[in-house]
Amino acid sequence: MSRSAVMREAAGIALSILMVVGVSCLIYLALLFFRMEHVMLLYLVPVLVAALRWGTLPAVTAAIAGIAAAAFLFYPPIYDLRVSNPDQIVDLVLFVIVAVVTGQLGVIARKAKMRAESENLREALIGSVSHELSSPLASIVGSASVLAQSPAIRQDNQLSGLVAVIRKESERLNGDIQNLLDATKITHEGIRPKWQWVDPEDIVNGAFARKRERAVERHVVFAVADDLPLVYTDPTLVESALGQLIENALKYSPPHTPITISAEQDDGRIAIRIRDEGVGLTRDETDRIFVRFYRSPRHAGNVTGSGLGLWITRSLIAACGGTVEASSAGPQQGTTMTLKLPIKSQPGRDEGEDD
Amino acid sequence: MTEIRPAVLVIDDEPQIRRFLRTGFDLEGFTVVEAGTADAGMRAATLRQVDLIVLDLNLPDIDGAQVVERVRAWSTVPIIILSVRASDEDKVRLLECGADDYVVKPFSMAELLARARAALRRQARGARGEPVVNIGPLSIDLANRAVFLGGKRIVLSPKEYQLLQVLAQHAGNVVTHNILLKEVWGTKHLHNAHYLRILVRKLRRKIEEDPKRPSLLKSELGVGYRLSGMTESD
Repeated sequence: MSRSAVMREAAGIALSILMVVGVSCLIYLALLFFRMEHVMLLYLVPVLVAALRWGTLPAVTAAIAGIAAAAFLFYPPIYDLRVSNPDQIVDLVLFVIVAVVTGQLGVIARKAKMRAESENLREALIGSVSHELSSPLASIVGSASVLAQSPAIRQDNQLSGLVAVIRKESERLNGDIQNLLDATKITHEGIRPKWQWVDPEDIVNGAFARKRERAVERHVVFAVADDLPLVYTDPTLVESALGQLIENALKYSPPHTPITISAEQDDGRIAIRIRDEGVGLTRDETDRIFVRFYRSPRHAGNVTGSGLGLWITRSLIAACGGTVEASSAGPQQGTTMTLKLPIKSQPGRDEGEDD
Repeated sequence: MTEIRPAVLVIDDEPQIRRFLRTGFDLEGFTVVEAGTADAGMRAATLRQVDLIVLDLNLPDIDGAQVVERVRAWSTVPIIILSVRASDEDKVRLLECGADDYVVKPFSMAELLARARAALRRQARGARGEPVVNIGPLSIDLANRAVFLGGKRIVLSPKEYQLLQVLAQHAGNVVTHNILLKEVWGTKHLHNAHYLRILVRKLRRKIEEDPKRPSLLKSELGVGYRLSGMTESD
């Protein structure tokens, strides 16, 4: 526990005791004018407040202090911690039970609230930071592309190499920022697909074209079945999801190994598969790879990533009524990602070619 | 480029973007005029003859679609839109208002130049009444309704030819699904988007070396099609 957390807890305990003292005074004054049977219940107030605001330990302190104060001040024999009346013993036992339960509930409520607050804060931060980053990045990518074209740089291999690095890295950064934007959009606004008929070949080609620059030196095999039916889906969302899968395949497999992109009809659905011969997946990774912010401990130290990509992919595809599954024979055995989309009913075979 | 120093008007509110666009266009032999607001941009466009307008979609003063409409009211000057990602509907809206093409931020100068040159060529072709459009190995003679692939004449169905003709007239630039549906089937069939997808497939089988991985008739998902002999990164 950090030092400030210890300080906060200590302050909580002190305040809890103060509250008990306050409540005791209140009851003492009240008893001068009214006859109160179950004064003990008032001692629940500090317990609840402490549980909600400061956590378990201050709540327990408030409970014990409350019992002690009641026994000492109000239950005969007065100014003695012992309690003689059996009714009042029942009161005390009840108080202990109620205090423990409310304390626990308070602590749970407090934790949930804190979690929600930190989630919101993180989302808001991510959203505004990525907006702020997007526009300077457009200037960087554009400026680097102008430099790459200028005669002075083109003549110089070393300089043009550096310019290529600026472009490549800023484009990767852009991908990460877009992922963050997508993630905040998914959690805040949800995904609203714009349905239309589309040729699955166009989706495969479009997704690959987006990643082409990263795949220039890779052997990529295309195996798209003949005469695939059109699918009714949101092409932009699926393209973006598929692009992420292609990027992962490129990222997690050695440069000399091939990547296969296939598409076929499979039981009323279109199945698009991306297969690589890379690092593969352990059973644990296969189970958790689509969880938001999950990064495998095998790669967390040496491959950059946010742990958002596959979570976004699955969210986008789910919004289109499809599924994404990962499979692997094991570590270093390669990975196959399978994306399945419902075809929906085919439009009539009337093709409008009646001229 | 056949023109002598074509003039490009850049309308973008971000100085850093304008700066690299100015240098990039300048390097390629363009004269550059800059404006930071839509208002200033439209004034500049009326004050002097420009050959091309590069317009940012998100200007602080006037909505991009409105700027396109207002310019189109008196001029056919090619307009290229600079847009941000995830706004397919906006892109389609602007293209259907009369913009010629778009690039998505962040973009490379080469990408923008390819689009700009295609739009300028179309403008020049229209002005000179040139009947033949060449795209890679494909040659389309609009006057004689004849299509050649690698020098050999190929036979297209009337609908296939109509589709190719519209794309060829905008060679290098994107044409939206709706515009193609309207040109080939008429306004009654705007909802029959699958006609277009199937016709594109048929046409690709006749003009593409590998119809499954087209290099001429490319799809811009969610927006339209583009007939182009170049890859995106050229």
